[in-house]
Amino acid sequence: MTHPQAAQGKAFEPKIVGFLCNWCSYAGADKAGSAQTPYPPNVNVIRVMCSGRVDPQFILRAFQSGADGVLVLACHPGDCHYKEGNYRAAQRHRILLRLLAQFGIAPDRCRFDYVSAAEGEKFVRVIHECVTAVNALGPLHLTAEKTTLPVKETKRAPATAGAKQSRKVA
Amino acid sequence: MKIGVYLCQCGGNVTAAISYDRVSEALLCGDPQAYTERVDFLCSAEGKEAFLESLKAKHPDRVVVAACSPREYETLFRQILADAGINSYYLQMVNVREQIAWVTADPARATEKAITGLRAAMARVRRQEALESREVEASSEVLVIGAGTAGLQAALTLAEAGRKVMLVEKSPAIGGKTVLYEELFPTMECGPCLLEPVEAEVLHGDYAHNIELLLLSEVAELNGYFGNFTAKIRQRPRCVGEQCIGCGLCVEACPASSPNPFNCGISEKKAMSLPFLGALPNAPYIDQNVCVRAQGRQCQACADACPIPGTVRLDEQERTLERKVGAVIVAIGSKLYDSGEIPFLGYGKIENVYSSLEFERIAAANGPTGGHIVTKAGKAPASLAIVHCVGSLDAARNPHCSGICCSYALKFNRMVEHKLPGTRVYHLYRELVVAGKDGFTMLDHARENHNSVFIRYRNIDELAVSTAGEGQRIVYTDAGGTKGAIDTDMVVLCPAMLGAEDSDRLAVIAELGRNQAGFFDELNGRLHAAQSKVKGIYLAGSCQAPMDIREATSQGMAAAGYILSSLVEGKKLTVDPIFASVIEERCSGCQICGGVCPYKAITFLAEERVSSINPLLCHGCGTCVSACPAGAIKGNHFTNDQILAEIEAILQ
Repeated sequence: MTHPQAAQGKAFEPKIVGFLCNWCSYAGADKAGSAQTPYPPNVNVIRVMCSGRVDPQFILRAFQSGADGVLVLACHPGDCHYKEGNYRAAQRHRILLRLLAQFGIAPDRCRFDYVSAAEGEKFVRVIHECVTAVNALGPLHLTAEKTTLPVKETKRAPATAGAKQSRKVA
Repeated sequence: MKIGVYLCQCGGNVTAAISYDRVSEALLCGDPQAYTERVDFLCSAEGKEAFLESLKAKHPDRVVVAACSPREYETLFRQILADAGINSYYLQMVNVREQIAWVTADPARATEKAITGLRAAMARVRRQEALESREVEASSEVLVIGAGTAGLQAALTLAEAGRKVMLVEKSPAIGGKTVLYEELFPTMECGPCLLEPVEAEVLHGDYAHNIELLLLSEVAELNGYFGNFTAKIRQRPRCVGEQCIGCGLCVEACPASSPNPFNCGISEKKAMSLPFLGALPNAPYIDQNVCVRAQGRQCQACADACPIPGTVRLDEQERTLERKVGAVIVAIGSKLYDSGEIPFLGYGKIENVYSSLEFERIAAANGPTGGHIVTKAGKAPASLAIVHCVGSLDAARNPHCSGICCSYALKFNRMVEHKLPGTRVYHLYRELVVAGKDGFTMLDHARENHNSVFIRYRNIDELAVSTAGEGQRIVYTDAGGTKGAIDTDMVVLCPAMLGAEDSDRLAVIAELGRNQAGFFDELNGRLHAAQSKVKGIYLAGSCQAPMDIREATSQGMAAAGYILSSLVEGKKLTVDPIFASVIEERCSGCQICGGVCPYKAITFLAEERVSSINPLLCHGCGTCVSACPAGAIKGNHFTNDQILAEIEAILQ
């Protein structure tokens, strides 16, 4: 499957979904805004109250729906507005990377980082790094081979249905 | 469904980068039922008015606002929706200023990003539900555990504001440790002089009728939640009624005695006795561990000696009381590290080696020696060594600095200088910590005392105290590695401050977390140090961290302040509608959610075998929603459905 933009011959612009916690990272993004430092517009932000709310299935659904990358930003360790939601987010991310690898999704496509309410500059740096990394990886192709776990050739769905399910990861 | 999209131009701040013409076109093309409207400065008086009028005229089912950060104006815009008769939670904001217009160099791409963000917001807002704040009944009464400095201040502050307070104290007297001190740093004011007026207010003051004081009592059970706690309190018998005038005839008559814990066991006390001279309330009590009746012998010497019939009640039994309260203040204080755990210091083995608390009692006028600083042999010491940092600043024991020991050690220096001029005072310390407004004055004063000697030791395990003649010899290795020895007549150890004896029991009862040293975990150590992690349970004084009287007083009043502002008499508690709830049909009872909740808002209903979330305790973080393997928890306003719709719309 070819990335639509690549098919049109345009330069690749990765689509990245960013999950930002309300208290630190979202405020950090606002700080970057107040400083009016330009950064690539590839990351569309979804605000959640806490990084602990970021269900790993959201990330899987994002990749399934065509995201080339996902960014999860949390409060620094010890700073979580809800005590420990950021630890949960960090733990879940670590485990999720192992699952993503099984789908052929490179770890650089799913970044977890800490951005405080004061770190506008860090936010900009993280966006740059994230966009550059996903750009280097190119568009994400979730093919049938990559998304299906190696199982014995038994009753497999017909090829057409398989192609239809090619992006189904969750 | 009609979605109204309001585009704030922000005086050109947004429109310089984003073409609202293109945005409108794209949105309306995707959703013909929607409408868009441009407003300049939506946050201005005119903007708000125009917004309100438009909402009233057009009656949208849902509202999307493209403007600045929702962190700034979401609350305001929600209010405008409410004013227009639309549920406040039918609003979704898109931060087109800080996160798009101001940070995207290319206007075409900024416009694209704004369209994507607004489409996602429209997809999300369709799924948003009408939410309402709920109100629940709450008790405005308060349980204060511990009648030391912090607890007394908290109780008095609340009582003065007209609150009913139940003050529970495990000992027979109030005042905690402060009343045991003859003098206090930094001003050398006397402890009882400082606290007795507060004690008198609590016992007999204008607002004393608001305080139910329960001495010799402890909290046995605490159930419920903020606004609605039920406390079970166990009270041991005092055997002396309130009509007691404190004449002491019963004490004289009592035949049994034992070491007095209030004087750290240095002197004896009768089974029927005052806790210490000047203890308030001024009435003796029977120590059941010492009274001969408890050993099955017949005796009523005290009752016979009492001039007021019926005051001594020998048959009084332990009783259990139950009270409903809205909030709890935990102010159970601290204890000292057991210096006996450091083997070579000789504590508990060598005569005249005392803990700081014991030395306080020796120096106190109402103490075992009448305030004369003397050795066991009754002689005034010619020299005295104060060992700082005992069991603290020590990775193997307690890494923390207790913060107050250096200050009271310098106070001891001054007391010795005053009571026994010419006495040599050695300070053996690992670190000298005298922070604050008056700390340095005290240190300076001690250094001016030409009988003071300051020695910085390298490691407390290299310190050894041994008996030498009538006194002690202390060998040490100083910070530079040089060995040395000093001879003294008395050794005073300054042990680390640790969480109170009872903190482990209370931690279980009230579900409070503690650190390694036994101090209770606060909600936030800087911002909310007087709040525990459990909503409605507050912390005051040295049960939260090592602190001095000033800090304990402030914290007691801070805890009272939190309660006065959050639990207003006659007012119901408002429950923020952004909370999580369990969909019982889907819950398998695995209890994973309970483990991840930072606020102990989730309980497991054993009978139904499902988890249940208390909306009053839930802060709406959503960690449990993500953790639930069955998708059986719904996080209001951040549901899976809403967030997934947002994700998919972004990637369309």
